[in-house]
Amino acid sequence: MNGVSKNIASKHRSVLLEAVIIFIASAAAGLIVNAINPNGIGLVRDDSDRFAVDTSKTKNENLINKRGKLNKGGFLEPVNIPVETAKQLFDEKAVFVDGREEEEFKAGHIKGAENIPYKEFKDKTRDEKVEIMKNIDTSRIIVSYCSSDSCEISIDNAYEMAKAGYNNIKIYLGGYKEWSKLGYPTEK
Amino acid sequence: MRILSNKYFLLILRLIVGGVFIAASLDKLYHQEEFSKAIYYYKIPFLDPFINISAIIIPYLELFSGILLVLGIFKRGSSLIIIILLVLFIVMLTSAYSRGLDISCGCFSLETVGEKSNILLRIIEDILLLIAAIIIFLKSKIIINKENH
Repeated sequence: MNGVSKNIASKHRSVLLEAVIIFIASAAAGLIVNAINPNGIGLVRDDSDRFAVDTSKTKNENLINKRGKLNKGGFLEPVNIPVETAKQLFDEKAVFVDGREEEEFKAGHIKGAENIPYKEFKDKTRDEKVEIMKNIDTSRIIVSYCSSDSCEISIDNAYEMAKAGYNNIKIYLGGYKEWSKLGYPTEK
Repeated sequence: MRILSNKYFLLILRLIVGGVFIAASLDKLYHQEEFSKAIYYYKIPFLDPFINISAIIIPYLELFSGILLVLGIFKRGSSLIIIILLVLFIVMLTSAYSRGLDISCGCFSLETVGEKSNILLRIIEDILLLIAAIIIFLKSKIIINKENH
């Protein structure tokens, strides 16, 4: 190896070394801060229950009355429901809550649905969430939905409502896309 | 193309790219769970085991690389990391776009991930940043070479 190529190789090494130092410092800072942060997250994300639509019961009535399990956070976890159950609940005058932003909500939503955009709702305090929820009849079953199952703010919004103390929340993952495709009632 | 080697031009590029990365890291640092969700929403199956570890480390990678780039320390190392991150972001965004993932629903609601809720704009932004980072990386190298000759 001549002097020039040695020089180039050494420069490449120094770039890689710089990058490795930055990476190690970032990983160390991230892991240490996360470990001491009371709001830190686990090293592996657990979404195992996220999509578990409960269709084990043959009678919808059982599913409708089923309450989610008590979560570590001290609230009842919302239950995922299939479209048939969502339609049944719609016919029984359940409250549908659309978690999308106002603009999308106005472009079309499940008939009679209330709009509680997740984006704003998630940052509210518990009291503020209760205040927002005053506008809807919480004595009824609440069905949280968004646009489709590739969206998932239906789940997140449902959990935010559950954390605020509402324990009759269902999640309809199929959302507006599936609902409107089936020709079920919508409005703008 | 002499301007590309102009030290003031390179300084402006470093301040822009570094500044964008510092700003982008701050929201993620304070909302790790949200950032973890944002990565999750890209729905890339083989990434699943690494979602949280990425959400823990990436904000610091962005912050440290951004600060170093602004300060002009480890310019090539930090710009290399930024290039790798941007390529990763562009691949993920393009993949989400091509699969028709529903991102207009607020899924990418973390401000730094997509306030504009327009995936194409995000891709264009990232490509522009990538071009700037590549110029910084290459031109820093040329300056060092010249110093050695």
